[in-house]
Amino acid sequence: MLNHIDKFRSRYVLILIMLILLMVATLIPENPLYNLNWALLSTMMVFAAILVFFWSFERSRVSSKLIAFIATMSALAAVARIAFSAIVSLQPSTFIIMISAYVFGPQIGFMVGAISALVSNFFLGQGPWTPWQMLCWGMCGVLASLVAIGQNEFRLVRFTVMAGFCGLFYGWVINIWHWAAFMYPLNIKTFLAVYASSLAFDFIHAIGNMVFSVLFGSTFYQVLRRFKKYI
Amino acid sequence: MLTYQFKDNLIYKLHPLTSIIFVGVVFVLALIFSHPAYLLGLLISVWVVLGAAGNLKEGQSYIKFSLIMVLMIVLINVLFARAGTTIIYRGVDIPLIGALEISLEAIAYGLGMSLRLLVIISVFCLYTYTVNPDKALHLGGRLGGKSVLAITLSLRLFPLMIKDFQRISEIQRCRGVKLSTGSLWQRAKKTLPIISIILLSSLERSLQLAESMQARGYGSGPRSTYDRDLWRPRDYLIIALSIMALFLGICSAIKGWSAYRYYPILEEISGLDWILASFIAMILLLPAILNWGGKKWPL
Repeated sequence: MLNHIDKFRSRYVLILIMLILLMVATLIPENPLYNLNWALLSTMMVFAAILVFFWSFERSRVSSKLIAFIATMSALAAVARIAFSAIVSLQPSTFIIMISAYVFGPQIGFMVGAISALVSNFFLGQGPWTPWQMLCWGMCGVLASLVAIGQNEFRLVRFTVMAGFCGLFYGWVINIWHWAAFMYPLNIKTFLAVYASSLAFDFIHAIGNMVFSVLFGSTFYQVLRRFKKYI
Repeated sequence: MLTYQFKDNLIYKLHPLTSIIFVGVVFVLALIFSHPAYLLGLLISVWVVLGAAGNLKEGQSYIKFSLIMVLMIVLINVLFARAGTTIIYRGVDIPLIGALEISLEAIAYGLGMSLRLLVIISVFCLYTYTVNPDKALHLGGRLGGKSVLAITLSLRLFPLMIKDFQRISEIQRCRGVKLSTGSLWQRAKKTLPIISIILLSSLERSLQLAESMQARGYGSGPRSTYDRDLWRPRDYLIIALSIMALFLGICSAIKGWSAYRYYPILEEISGLDWILASFIAMILLLPAILNWGGKKWPL
């Protein structure tokens, strides 16, 4: 069993080393990858990151109940996104993903986030943003589960602060692609300009997350906690 | 409900893998190319294929949606780029940015990148409308059982939950909860309880789902898969030509033909550039040509 985990870890390390090598290769002149398009490179990296999470999910032992749970929660987050889509950036999807991650841990949290982004885009329209949204929402789940380490009950303050942070984090990560793909020169000024232009949306997202957590955090937590006993 | 609605033409009847390869090739080419001629070629061929698939209207709404992004790209590039030499306008000092300086090159670069964005948006519009999500997920079924199962289940639960949402909001309305009036925040506050009711009922449903999966023997042995989609000669033809276009694109990127120097002064576009760009675009027109041929000379 232990040997198995070791083998698993070494593969992650291998992927990480490959990604870093790829990145370095674009900086060293006189090779075919020199000055590779950053938009392409960053998309490839995001794909690799999502694949690693999906891969580890495939390898883990998951019961049919957990699979049904992941499907349900991600469909719910997707529905929430569409139901609130008239109100841009003010949507409880991030909150729903985070609360399920808080109860069920990082792996389930990532899967719920990634799948809800994918599924809602089947209805809202797929685009180059899909893998980025999958990664961002998945990572929101992972971050929320970090807050839950060593906790046996719902900690409102910790969770709310993390929810606010995740609202900003989501927009900040997605901006990277926008900047890398379409801006020139790629310097700190254009970087800040892209971030400034999305700041209002990011703050609405963050504040919405925090308010949803305060109003509905403990209710959702109780429901999910009780459900966890059945699994 | 789903954005995908079947239409009776060749592009909808392609094998899902063929469509995915076509879309992937155009996406990668759009990111590799920075030359406006090449990007324009890609845009034209994507739109002709979109037209052949009968999705011009949907494509237009995609474009409208992305206009804000186009505007922002042009604006930020124009305001911040300092590498251009052909200055059109030199104006007042702006705090943080410095002296305002608008160069022809920066505008051209902004427009070039907008072209890239439009190609990407249009090709994803093609994907969204012409590839059946269930069939696309089937392709992944062999690679990963559990995650694809979770995605498929979630895709199936989604319309069910939307129906629940509509039903519960009607009931709430009957009880006097005003869902469509009031400020944004009030509306959001009234809508979220509906979500929490759906949470309760759908968690119940998910337990039943799991039990029924268990009863049908899920996870009791190695998974079996099957393929319902037919491979036709046209699929092979389109895949072969798409890969050829990708190969040509990569070659021209390595040779530096498809790269365009915007700064410090705009490069001249030679006839050779146009020829090669239109050649690649023509290769990518194949699905539209096959569709036209199939209609003109039906079997």
